[in-house]
Amino acid sequence: MVTNTLSGNTTTYDDHQEQSRLAQWQADKWLMAGSFFMGTAILGLIGLPLFLRGLVLQVRAQKVGLSVRPIMVTLIGYLVIVDAALNSFGWALDMIANHTLLARVFLMAWGNMFDAGYFWHYNELWIGGATAPGEKAWEIALLPIVFCMRMAAGIGFLQMKRWGHQWLIVTCWFGVVIWVGYVANMTIFADVRYSGVVFPVIGWWLYDLFYITPFLAIPYLHTVNREIFTD
Amino acid sequence: MSESSTDKLPLGTTPPYARMHKWLQRGLLVCLAALVLEGAFTFPLLALWYGWPTLSLQEICSEFLKIQFADDKKECVYPYPLFGPPEGAGQTAARQDVWGVQPKPLYKRVEFGEFITRRDARLARQAAAE
Repeated sequence: MVTNTLSGNTTTYDDHQEQSRLAQWQADKWLMAGSFFMGTAILGLIGLPLFLRGLVLQVRAQKVGLSVRPIMVTLIGYLVIVDAALNSFGWALDMIANHTLLARVFLMAWGNMFDAGYFWHYNELWIGGATAPGEKAWEIALLPIVFCMRMAAGIGFLQMKRWGHQWLIVTCWFGVVIWVGYVANMTIFADVRYSGVVFPVIGWWLYDLFYITPFLAIPYLHTVNREIFTD
Repeated sequence: MSESSTDKLPLGTTPPYARMHKWLQRGLLVCLAALVLEGAFTFPLLALWYGWPTLSLQEICSEFLKIQFADDKKECVYPYPLFGPPEGAGQTAARQDVWGVQPKPLYKRVEFGEFITRRDARLARQAAAE
């Protein structure tokens, strides 16, 4: 019989695996519920305590020596999913639901406050929604490709799959392209995007700065010991 | 590197990168909290700035259209017909905006609660005209 003393008690290997699996699932239930709410933006305050509770369970399981997912993998995995969900929600509203009252008020208010690309000439293109130069092209390119792919990669990463790790690297580097391209676009068309805006440039940066989670993930993804991910 | 110090590191973190991973973790937690706070408070605060709850969401939407097209007669149509043409199609602003390769709108920034005073003033004007 194989024994170990990882959790302080002498148990069989199978017991330890089973306990680890249960502890991980217990933490994941809270983490998933929290991420679900945080991904909706408006219900984020409900989600945060649930998520932190899951994180505490995860740390506890790790401390007693169970084989659970590392905290960093957990944080990055869920955070890139939340980040992608937040981006997807806003842009899906703009692309598909641009004549609903909520989208018109919320997106035009956002536009009037931070970025007139979502205010001036709103809903004049045949496709509706934002009309700033290039904005619709970003939405069409990024929603189905980058954000959907990043959410799928995040799930694979949380399952500690090798493909999850690899595809998270790919989609996080997409994030660098997005930021450079998007900021360049907003700078070049600054007259359109910032004229008559309540809180221009700095307001936009204050708001969007915290979407840098993919950038924080990149150094980790390239320096983590890849042996912890499996096929 | 003693074995005990390696043992304390999280799975997947090797000693040369331990410090970097620690700071990345802190950064991620800050981003998480910031995203949640932003997400939760943006819509309510925007609504307050533009006059809710004194004005309904539809009234706020109408005030936006009046600014966009410099036209007091514009109203936000709701519910909007499904598959109808884009709301703003073919509309032109009464105000002369700057046109060219870098177009620029000439409306002014909206102050806190301004929509309420604008609306009150407009209704008073209309009442006086009748």
